[in-house]
Amino acid sequence: MADLGIMALLLGVALSAYAAVGAIVGEKMRMAELAVSAHRALYMTTASAAVASAALIYAFVQNDFSIEYVANHSNTFMDRAFVWVAFYAGNEGSLLYILLVLAVISAISIWCAPKRLARSMPWTIAILALTQLFYFSVLVFSASPFELLESVPEDGRGINPLLTHPGMFSHPPLLMGGLIAITVPFAFVSGALIAGNFGDDWIDVARVSAIIGWGVLGTGMLLGAWWAYTILGWGGYWAWDPIENVALMPWLVMTAFIHSIMVQKRRGMFRMWNVALLNIGFVLAQLGMFINRGGPVVSVHSFAASSLGLIFLSFMLVSLVFAFALFLWRMPQMKSDRNMESFMSREASFLVNNFLFLSVMAVTLWGVLFPLFSDFARDVSVSVSAPYFDRANGPVLLGIVAMMGIGPLLPWRKASARSLKQWFVLPIIVLIVTVVILVVLGVQRPVAIFSFAVVAFVAASIVEEWWRGTAARHRSGDNWALAWWRLINGNRPRHGGYIVHISILMLGLGIIGTNFYQQRTDGAIGLGESLIIDNYRVEYVDRGDASRPDRIAQWAEMSVYQIDPEDYRQEIDFARAQGSTGFTLKDSTRRPNDEMIDTIEPWHGFYLDFNMASVRSGIRSTIVEDLYVIPRDFLSDGRVSLAVSINPLAWWLWASGPFFIIGTMVALWPQPAVEKRPARSSLKPDPSIETEGEE
Amino acid sequence: MAITFGTLLALLSIAVIAYPFLGKKRYRLVSASFVTREKLRAERLRIYRKISDVESDFTSGDLTEQDYFLQRDQLRIAAAEILRQEAGASSSNSQREEELEKEIAQLREEAARPPEGGDAL
Repeated sequence: MADLGIMALLLGVALSAYAAVGAIVGEKMRMAELAVSAHRALYMTTASAAVASAALIYAFVQNDFSIEYVANHSNTFMDRAFVWVAFYAGNEGSLLYILLVLAVISAISIWCAPKRLARSMPWTIAILALTQLFYFSVLVFSASPFELLESVPEDGRGINPLLTHPGMFSHPPLLMGGLIAITVPFAFVSGALIAGNFGDDWIDVARVSAIIGWGVLGTGMLLGAWWAYTILGWGGYWAWDPIENVALMPWLVMTAFIHSIMVQKRRGMFRMWNVALLNIGFVLAQLGMFINRGGPVVSVHSFAASSLGLIFLSFMLVSLVFAFALFLWRMPQMKSDRNMESFMSREASFLVNNFLFLSVMAVTLWGVLFPLFSDFARDVSVSVSAPYFDRANGPVLLGIVAMMGIGPLLPWRKASARSLKQWFVLPIIVLIVTVVILVVLGVQRPVAIFSFAVVAFVAASIVEEWWRGTAARHRSGDNWALAWWRLINGNRPRHGGYIVHISILMLGLGIIGTNFYQQRTDGAIGLGESLIIDNYRVEYVDRGDASRPDRIAQWAEMSVYQIDPEDYRQEIDFARAQGSTGFTLKDSTRRPNDEMIDTIEPWHGFYLDFNMASVRSGIRSTIVEDLYVIPRDFLSDGRVSLAVSINPLAWWLWASGPFFIIGTMVALWPQPAVEKRPARSSLKPDPSIETEGEE
Repeated sequence: MAITFGTLLALLSIAVIAYPFLGKKRYRLVSASFVTREKLRAERLRIYRKISDVESDFTSGDLTEQDYFLQRDQLRIAAAEILRQEAGASSSNSQREEELEKEIAQLREEAARPPEGGDAL
């Protein structure tokens, strides 16, 4: 299989080089046969990448330990289901996976490209082919997954234990796929600019491909957070780790892009700005590849240090120079059709939202790069940790959430005082009422209260938008459900965006709850003993262990009781006096109001070959809060050392995922055909909305 | 086995990229007039979509009546202009194509002219 893989990769080098050169020469020399041939060569690179990937997967399935990569990332004890994970578990395999994704999406995008882009397609093909050529070359000359071992081991080293989690089937592939997918809109827009196509012909293809990459990347990050929450054993889900940050930054920029592209689509503005955003997004995606590939920062997510860092740094710098040289060259021709008429308009709100996204990106980029600069300039190693990011980014992120409510309520072009009043009264009332309710309920922390109120404000603005639109259609004779469906269907990009906004609000609830109201306690308990926190009692009922050739696994069976704190008043008061949020209880006698509600099995494994521990937290999740039990260690005296926390609203973090995906798909779904001018709508405007003259 | 499969892949790739040079089919690059027509059509559809969005915004109360009429009329004028350009492009294009047909027929007896937008790039 190694021979086949190497042959496929070498063929890929030749085909991608031919596609790049042939596309340009064919266009320049007006040689149709050469242009068609180059076009088809790009399709064949997909076949090459697919065959190389299949060869590697087959080697895993066959336990072919003569291949070094297979020996390093699998063994005979590995669950066969994890073959897919092992494929991209290491540097070389992940590069092959990235190449496969790039080749597939390149072929699909070229196949689906509209004919009106024919003049710029050779350049687009060349950019895609050159990017593929880079990856094929790296795989052939620097990081081959088909290197053979001189002596074949009887068994492999096994897969990294942190990767043996269901989230790993989708999180890394989505993350890597999302990052590389940014190449497609970049290639289309750059191709159009090189060919001198300065109009809006590339808008639709760039928007659709950008949203696909953005959605995939966002889903990958969310799955990564879920993976970290359940397996890393620290009770969190986002640590502002450099690898998390380098995925977040292009996502933020692409979020800005998919908002501002709507302004170009609707108002013919922000053309230059959109090109700049795509350039930044593409370069940041390359930065992500550089940092991830044995780059200079250490992370739980990154691959082992290797010489690939320098290669990817070089590619990133070439991308940077190319993107911005092209931008500067074509800048004079990219002027907008019109200027902004008012700062109280939807287009202005998109601009503000773009600046906020870029602010978070810049703060995060500085946090990622500062340790490198410090190391380089002063030879001092420093690390930038979560408090910096939280303090600097927190308020801006809240501002972004607020803009999600403000922007959609502003009309295009310009707003009048009267329309502002009409649209903002309800959300502002909801905001104030939320603050009042939370204060009356005794909720602490003003920042959190304000954050909850902003979430309520945005939710109210979406409901108001949907209500008014649905009501207008209802007046025309549709029933309420059909009216709402037609509203969504009538402008899918917009209403898909609102569904994504709802998912962001759900995410926001989870972030506010877990950041401001988490309770945590530690303790070691023996069989029959309990650990009490807030209104939960966690009783250690039984333990189990299993020894396998690759690991020693231990787990605890624990009963979870809902308690009435009044039954434990004395102990709770004592613990609070000691400054603790919880306490251990040796007495296993139930108190009157103890009610068993669940059983959990936190798990702890130690992997001998990797000298690494891995845990599976025991989690009881409800929409109100998670009871989260981390088994730190199983002690020799029979006790288990636990870290137990209550994570309010954590459930909403993960519930946001389906809404994010559905919203993205709605936004992407092709709009109904408008080939024929639709008949004048029989809809009537909302009579409650006054019309007015120019202010 | 692996070597055989790899060789077959290489041969297939060579066949695919060589076919445009060796096959009977003739290719030509998409003409400027075709691209222009496609661009105009896409622009017209974009304007129709915008008109639909403007109507939807007005219905939902997102636009004042004045803004609605202003934006709708601007878009209608733009659509009419595109329609006029499309009509002009297709009539001048048909003349050019006739001339082209004659030239091709003279130069290549066996040349089968592919349908526009078919196998061309």
